[in-house]
Amino acid sequence: MIQTGLIQRAHNDLVTDVTYDFYGLRLATCSLDQRIKVWQVDESNGNWNVEDDWKAHDATVSKISWAHPEFGTILASASFDRTVKIWEQTSFASTADSQPNGAGTGSPQATSGGSSRWVERAVLVDARGTVRAVEFAPHHFGLKLATVSSDNHVRIYECLEQSSLATWQLSEEVDVSTLPSVSLSSSYSVAFATPTQTSATLEGASATLVAQALQQSQNPATQGRPGMGNREADGGWCISWCKDRYWGEIIAAGCGISGAIKIIQLSSSRRPTTLLTLDPSPSPAGLPAEAGTSLASDGDTPIPFAITSVAWAPTCGRSYHLIATGGRDGHVRIWRVKPAEEEPDVEGEGGDSKWSANVVADFDHHKSAVGRVEWNITGTVLSSAGNDGRVRLWKATIGNVWRPAGSIGVEQSEDTQDADVNMGENAIAE
Amino acid sequence: MSSTNHHLNLFPPLIQVGQAEQFIQSGKTLSSAQSPLNQSYAVFPSARTDVSSIKASDVEEQPIFFASSETSPSSERRLFIGDTSIIFAALQNLTNTAQSRGQEWLHDQETHNVIRKLTLDYVNFTRECWIHTSQTSVQSQGSSQFSGDHYRSLYTCLALFAVLYVPEYGYEDAPVGDDLMEWLNVHFIEPSTEEGDHLSGLDRPWEDETFWPYLVRVTLRGLSKAATFFLATLSTHPSDNLRRLAQQLSPLLQSQPRLQSFEAERDFAYASHRWKDKVKALRIELDSVSESDRHDGIENWWDRLSDIVGILEGRSEVIRRVCEDLGADWREISVSWGVFADARLRRQDLPEVVSQVLDDMPQDPTNLEDMVHAALFSGDPTKALSHAAQLDPWLAAHMADLMQALSLIEKDANEDSGLNIRDFHVLGYAQYLHADPALWRITVAYMFSCGETGVRSADEVLLHVPLKLRFVGSITHGQGEQNGGDNLKSGDLAGVVKDINATCYEYQREEVRRTICRIAAQTFVQEKEYGLALSYSSSAEDWPGLGRVVDRVLQEYITAGPEQFTRYVAGIAPSLQALRMQSSAQGIFIHRLMFAVRYAEFHQRLGNQDLQDAAWDLVSMFQDGLAPKSWWAVLLCDSQQLLQHDVTLLFPYASACILLQHLEEVIARTDQGSGDEYLRVLISKLGSGGTTEVLHALQGVRLALAKYFARCTMIGTGGKQIMERKFIAAV
Repeated sequence: MIQTGLIQRAHNDLVTDVTYDFYGLRLATCSLDQRIKVWQVDESNGNWNVEDDWKAHDATVSKISWAHPEFGTILASASFDRTVKIWEQTSFASTADSQPNGAGTGSPQATSGGSSRWVERAVLVDARGTVRAVEFAPHHFGLKLATVSSDNHVRIYECLEQSSLATWQLSEEVDVSTLPSVSLSSSYSVAFATPTQTSATLEGASATLVAQALQQSQNPATQGRPGMGNREADGGWCISWCKDRYWGEIIAAGCGISGAIKIIQLSSSRRPTTLLTLDPSPSPAGLPAEAGTSLASDGDTPIPFAITSVAWAPTCGRSYHLIATGGRDGHVRIWRVKPAEEEPDVEGEGGDSKWSANVVADFDHHKSAVGRVEWNITGTVLSSAGNDGRVRLWKATIGNVWRPAGSIGVEQSEDTQDADVNMGENAIAE
Repeated sequence: MSSTNHHLNLFPPLIQVGQAEQFIQSGKTLSSAQSPLNQSYAVFPSARTDVSSIKASDVEEQPIFFASSETSPSSERRLFIGDTSIIFAALQNLTNTAQSRGQEWLHDQETHNVIRKLTLDYVNFTRECWIHTSQTSVQSQGSSQFSGDHYRSLYTCLALFAVLYVPEYGYEDAPVGDDLMEWLNVHFIEPSTEEGDHLSGLDRPWEDETFWPYLVRVTLRGLSKAATFFLATLSTHPSDNLRRLAQQLSPLLQSQPRLQSFEAERDFAYASHRWKDKVKALRIELDSVSESDRHDGIENWWDRLSDIVGILEGRSEVIRRVCEDLGADWREISVSWGVFADARLRRQDLPEVVSQVLDDMPQDPTNLEDMVHAALFSGDPTKALSHAAQLDPWLAAHMADLMQALSLIEKDANEDSGLNIRDFHVLGYAQYLHADPALWRITVAYMFSCGETGVRSADEVLLHVPLKLRFVGSITHGQGEQNGGDNLKSGDLAGVVKDINATCYEYQREEVRRTICRIAAQTFVQEKEYGLALSYSSSAEDWPGLGRVVDRVLQEYITAGPEQFTRYVAGIAPSLQALRMQSSAQGIFIHRLMFAVRYAEFHQRLGNQDLQDAAWDLVSMFQDGLAPKSWWAVLLCDSQQLLQHDVTLLFPYASACILLQHLEEVIARTDQGSGDEYLRVLISKLGSGGTTEVLHALQGVRLALAKYFARCTMIGTGGKQIMERKFIAAV
């Protein structure tokens, strides 16, 4: 493990998200300072230089996502201002050809200083709460993206006109907390997903959430109360697409403080359905969807917590999926998810073959909330970042036993020589 | 090598020693992003999501750190990786052939010999690399990434593997002692040459304290020449007994039977037996030396000589004690066992012997080389691989590859991971290679040998290889690269894209190739290299994509005007010819391309004042059904200036009628609410005015047409008078 570079001043306020583009040659960063910056690496010396920098939103920019390059150089940004914006990099000459109109889109505002080559192509305004995550769908599903926001909703947008990027149709809008499960045989006690975290009615819930969102965005300096039971802990937290084409459009979403992740199948022909709930509560893991919620209400009353990060590993030909989660309970978990068998089980009533899952790794090394989990491109290395101020890496043995594989921190080394050695490797940018 | 388990603290530090809590309390946390390019990470202080963050003061820096879990290979390492990948490829060829010819064939003599040769190639390469690195690292202090010692350990492991697991064909069941001793003597030289030099310079070497240990060690190592040389020096020793015994011992050492000297093992066994008898005779003589003559005042020579004879007799307790006294390790004991104690020791019996030795004298768990050796000696290839993986993923991958070819390891996939042992280690190595993006060709070659998981992983790596298309135009350094750039511009696939394409063909990854072509096409669209974009789209057989490229070209007419437009079309026109040849090309998108080309021709003629032909072009675009409906209004507006041309009537009467028909349809359909379909392009061309302005423009065309028909009537060009009247009425 070695340090290879440094950007000393990335933003004027805390950075909220950093994402590499498809090739790892550029970085998009966003911040509490409401700006987006795009950086490019100088491959000759490894330094990162700002390519573009603009004010993107009227509140904190929470997440940023690159579209697949076959659609062009496109970014989507999610913000606490409850919007998602689509940005396209254009060559200088055609900066003017931005298209007006489009559903609910204001005219494209000139980006800061006019020097930016990034043009705002669309603003998606459907969220009724802060938008916490945005992720473009795998490219084989077309130019689509998913968002999740504190109003509990996952929204799927589809670009109707790739050449202009102006029109985005809201193709699905799913309340994750109340999403009905697949109905299973009567032998199961069917408890249609009552949200465990109580929001009574949709209107009531969203109203309070909007109020919170307002409070959050208008008064960012307020010191929030840490810990559970905080109303801000409610709402949708995280999403991750299934990268595989074979199973159709499937997305994992985390919402509320149930500690569970729902695997949601999206289909143009029917309503979104939950294929599976990944619930780590001390009970049979990887339950059929509806059982997960009923469990929380009885038994050992597990302490509620939010899963704030989920990452679906690229399948890379494996017969199973790997989904990693990170949450406020301080655990990094890796789920091994088996898709439904090809041939439906004849015995099972309704003939629905089911997805199943089990936890293959459960680490509490962070000892505090885990803010992010992420896979490498082949799904063989998981990285997790937590409130212990560490980034930890995980790798599997041949028996699919996951083990720590190094860590990165920002503490002052007690052994100062160590730091000096690292310095030698650094290319200090700027 | 195995730095992956280490902790790295980034610089400059953000948290003072022991103050992590304060960092978190201030609403900050640490976050990271993984690079798809290599094994590196961007690490940054971030805002906690569970509490609102305190706004950072402006003076505070918000850094982003970059760290990599692997050091990318240095030049000497790259050379090593590249060279050995050729051997790997050769073995791949062999095993692929085996798949078609059946596994039996893999165990043929001929095949076995090839595998053995490849194994020895690896051994030789690691040796070369060891020698090379040892030499260069002396010259330039520590510039090499891996010390010579690292390659030495790879060399010893592979050489041991070759001795134990890849013997010559037919020798699998032969005694292994001599081969092992040779291995030990090559890699772990004892006693040192310096010691020998020192002793040979002395007149009475036996008086030196190193003399007897030296003599014992060379005997133990089967180094009969050195042994006899120093036994000869004893000819001046004061003790008669010793002189006599030394004289008898020398021929015994020299005549110890070696397996290589015999045609059949039976003969070897017989000779060994006879030789052992001679050793016994010597023992009897030795025992008859009186107690009083066993000490020469410096050393009890008799004890030492007894040890030597004890070794030759193959007494296990002597061998073990002597080794312990000499500071030799478990390897030396095990190997001498196979030479002296049990000269017919077979490979399959070795593990039992070794396990006994290791019980008393265990291997060093902090020394990975030692651990690999011990596992290989113990007949546990799988364990050897897992230690090798820690020593160097290169070693594990290549050894696993050979082991699978030799059926030494489980071929079936592990139930939990879906990978077999070989694939697991080869993929581990491929992942290590991925740390250096420049090694993508080798990375995918290894991945493609690893079943479905490997193939799909290789797909991901291929897809993420930077295409470097964007900077083609700006390359200025070096004539060669300039040419490369020109080639690319002129439509040839060149550089990285060409390589990736070739790789995709080689491994039949058409889906990947198409995706890459689509990305390339998109990139060229952004660069306004429409010709290239078009050829990539067609290479990807992405007809809707091709349509979008043409749309973008047409868009150029709207935004940049006819001159730019015709220039861009000049770039795509050659593709049209090629595409027409291609039967798979889908009609509708080709149609649009044809329209773009024809429309550009029209504008060119217009620009050249070739008005008659321009008019003909315009009408024929309508006649041939080439013009998309959304463009009709634009074409009609273009016709206005031709209609108003004073000098001649440019349109035949029938052609004017065609214009009129289309104008009528546009206006009628707009009235019916399909305005968007028909007027969209013209609206964006004319700018802000919207439908009203467009309709106004079309009224202008209608007026021009009416005047034109009027002129036709006066001059008498028209055709059927009735038709004419009817149309005039309509106008």
